Amino acid sequence: MSEDYRALYLHIPFCASRCGYCDFVTEALEADDERISSYTEELIRVLRRSSRSGELGSVKTVYVGGGTPTHIGSRRLISLVYTVGLSLNLHTDSEFTVEANPESLTAPLARDLFSLGVNRFSLGVQSLNDDDLLVLGRGHNSDAARRAIATAGERCNNVSVDLICGIPKQTLSGWQATLREVVASGVKHISVYPLTLEATTPLARDIAAGRLVLPDDDSQAELLLATADLLAAEGFERYEVASWARPGYACAHNIAYWTGQSYLGLGRGAAGMRNTASGRQRYQDGELVESLSLRQRLAEDLMLAMRLARGIAVSEVQAAEESLAGIAAVFSTLLADGLVELCEGRYCPTQRGWLLGNQIFGRIWALA
Amino acid sequence: MVEQLLDSMDIERERGITIKSQAVRVLYQADDGREYQFNLIDTPGHVDFTYEVSRSLAACEGAVLVVDATQGVEAQTVANAMMAMNANLEIIPLINKIDLPAADVERVRGEIEEGLAIPADEAILASAKTGEGVHKLLEAIVARIPAPRGEAARPLKALIFDSYFDAYRGVVALVRVVDGSLQKGQMIRLMATDVQTLVEEVGVRRPANTPVEALKSGEVGYLMCGLKDPSLVKVGDTVTVAQGGADEPLPGYREVKPMVFTGLFPIDGDQYEDLRDALEKLTLNDPALVYEPETSHALGFGFRVGFLGLLHMEVVKERLEREFDLDLIATAPSVEYHVFTTKGEMLAIHSPQDMPDATLIERIEEPYLKATILVPPDYVGAVMDLSVGRRGIFDTMQYLSASTVEMKWAIPLSELIVDYFNQLKSRTRGYASLDYEFDSYRASDLVKLDILLSGKAVDALSFIVHKDKAYARGDALAKKLKEIIPRQLFEVPIQAAIGSRILARTNVKALRKDVLAKCYGGDITRKRKLLEKQKAGKRRMKNIGNVEVPQEAFMALLKVDE
Repeated sequence: MSEDYRALYLHIPFCASRCGYCDFVTEALEADDERISSYTEELIRVLRRSSRSGELGSVKTVYVGGGTPTHIGSRRLISLVYTVGLSLNLHTDSEFTVEANPESLTAPLARDLFSLGVNRFSLGVQSLNDDDLLVLGRGHNSDAARRAIATAGERCNNVSVDLICGIPKQTLSGWQATLREVVASGVKHISVYPLTLEATTPLARDIAAGRLVLPDDDSQAELLLATADLLAAEGFERYEVASWARPGYACAHNIAYWTGQSYLGLGRGAAGMRNTASGRQRYQDGELVESLSLRQRLAEDLMLAMRLARGIAVSEVQAAEESLAGIAAVFSTLLADGLVELCEGRYCPTQRGWLLGNQIFGRIWALA
Repeated sequence: MVEQLLDSMDIERERGITIKSQAVRVLYQADDGREYQFNLIDTPGHVDFTYEVSRSLAACEGAVLVVDATQGVEAQTVANAMMAMNANLEIIPLINKIDLPAADVERVRGEIEEGLAIPADEAILASAKTGEGVHKLLEAIVARIPAPRGEAARPLKALIFDSYFDAYRGVVALVRVVDGSLQKGQMIRLMATDVQTLVEEVGVRRPANTPVEALKSGEVGYLMCGLKDPSLVKVGDTVTVAQGGADEPLPGYREVKPMVFTGLFPIDGDQYEDLRDALEKLTLNDPALVYEPETSHALGFGFRVGFLGLLHMEVVKERLEREFDLDLIATAPSVEYHVFTTKGEMLAIHSPQDMPDATLIERIEEPYLKATILVPPDYVGAVMDLSVGRRGIFDTMQYLSASTVEMKWAIPLSELIVDYFNQLKSRTRGYASLDYEFDSYRASDLVKLDILLSGKAVDALSFIVHKDKAYARGDALAKKLKEIIPRQLFEVPIQAAIGSRILARTNVKALRKDVLAKCYGGDITRKRKLLEKQKAGKRRMKNIGNVEVPQEAFMALLKVDE
């Protein structure tokens, strides 16, 4: 028996332009391009088919991501969001997120999406410093980002922003200024990613050619520590390695990913996952791309759970030992190395553990 | 047509070198209308294989001295030419690669004349690539190299100048018959090892083995006699008949002794047996290779392996990894030290970890080499600096020509194997060439230097060094290790010490950040793949205590910049 899907992801693989650091599945097309229209229509058909086949009945959260969903124009996006409302049994408090970029989120669009059930906006702000945005090759400046935060916040009291730290030339004080301003703007959720260099991106070429210098791991560590300090002081909870939220505003959709719940991904390049009696399967573009055994599924669950502040109960680790021999010992060494700590009967990542997450994840996955 | 017909190993073809001698018989229709039988041997030129070359020369009447038209006379050219002269061979000088734009025939002619005292006006100008000059060479061989002399009627005397192992036939010896004849069914005796055996087959190589009834006085060919143990068939030994054989062996035989020793350890301890099997197989074709088990606290079970020299070592290590699919850690090479203890014993020490406690040592002697360096006059100072820095003792210097100076030095072998040759090349812009032979054992003030990682001595990183150089080399090695050892969860202090005295210290800073923060639906698989890649990288490292040390750390001593 396969588990019902708990989360639905819809992918919009289009952007106004490609950013310098991005290697996601997306392409830069004009907003009125015919290909966007036909793509959206097809996505709506697929969504209706999924609904009729009954596989959306248990979906609790929806996330429309990209690319840039707001780039495809309000008519298309509204049709899609409307279809979501028709196709799912969404509760009024079911989390329904749409990603938006500052240059394409208009007040009317925000209003229409909200009236159709969208109750969370995730904004690709990245920085409120114009030099940073220039280095990243973003299609907006900091003022546009400020306006977008305000626009989204007018309709909806659950706005999240994505930020990037460790950008070439970025200073600690500049980064802290961005954080403070974002906090002051009233957003409820902040995701912070240290800039990672993806091969074949323009930014990677600039760095390889010496035109830009990527901050080393030590300075990235400094920025991340400063982030944790500042946001904690402002009353944000870090519930996942890269996610901070006001109490009650953690992202339910993302938590589904990190707690091993089945999710359906629709659209080009979107990943779906389903737990089955024999383990776990992943799909992409209608094809089975990966099958995990029960043992591997367990290891993956434990690994993902350690991204979360709540971590794993000691009793769960002990229970896992039966099918994943050695896991208890792994947690003992993580404890000894100061990467996790015990809090109320659970193994939780430490400050050091957040920074050295791959050491935790790697040791757990090595048992699979 | 196959290029490089006789250099059949991958490593030989890739590097353009000869490691293993090859013998071949060809028939040549000369201009005088007669057919001549040539028995040719292609030998290595590298100094590591000097003894084998000397035996091949002893099997010949003449030698073609091939000099590269772009490189000119090198130290190895001089050494090999001297060897051929001492063996009373007729020498035909040949200048090769004249088709290259950088060829400088006149300069090379001058060097041959002045440096080797060989009349160069007779030198044949040739290009093996275009074939130019080859006919002239073949005619010169007919005209100038004497036919073999020998007494067919005297008791059999045949020189073993090389051997290889055939999985079905056992050891195959390559021989030159001097006196008498060698035939199938004969009962023979190998004089140095005193082994008697029956001749199963004799033949000639063209280059495939072709059986013949007998090899007669003056002929070159192969001999199969069913022996399975290569150590019984020694290069340089004399074959005679079991009954009424020769009284005296041919001159020049000696035991080949390894000069350079290194520890070879499988990264994965499970490959220990595979490594043993692989060494056993390589030894069949390479009796100069010797090995014995060695245990290291840091690296586990492995072997101490003795080689003729650094090239030999490199080639063997590469073959073990390529042909036998082994992942190996090689420790920095060492030499054979003679340690005289206070009890009056002499211990031959091949590995720093076998060095007795300093209080038990009366004195230590180490092997010195007689090194010959040819270099343009402008670089004499550079060679002086380098060699004095390596504890070299200057002997003589003379001009071979206006453009070439020959310097002779006595240099400890232990200094020569630490990147001396590369340094020599780089400090002379590639112009210097080097040749050497064993000189003598001399007393030196030597100490064992230990490297400590996180406070614990790592036996596989210890080395023996002259007391005056201990600080500089310990410091340089510690710094080099800092570059090589990746950052880990905890700071890794690196110390260099003699006994309990710390000479130098540095540390690898602790890893601060190692996380990819983004991990949503589609990223999970990608992220796991990344973790698997990291893990695969770690498999190439050795865990020592709680420190992960990459393979190349154990060879870092060869790359230090003092």
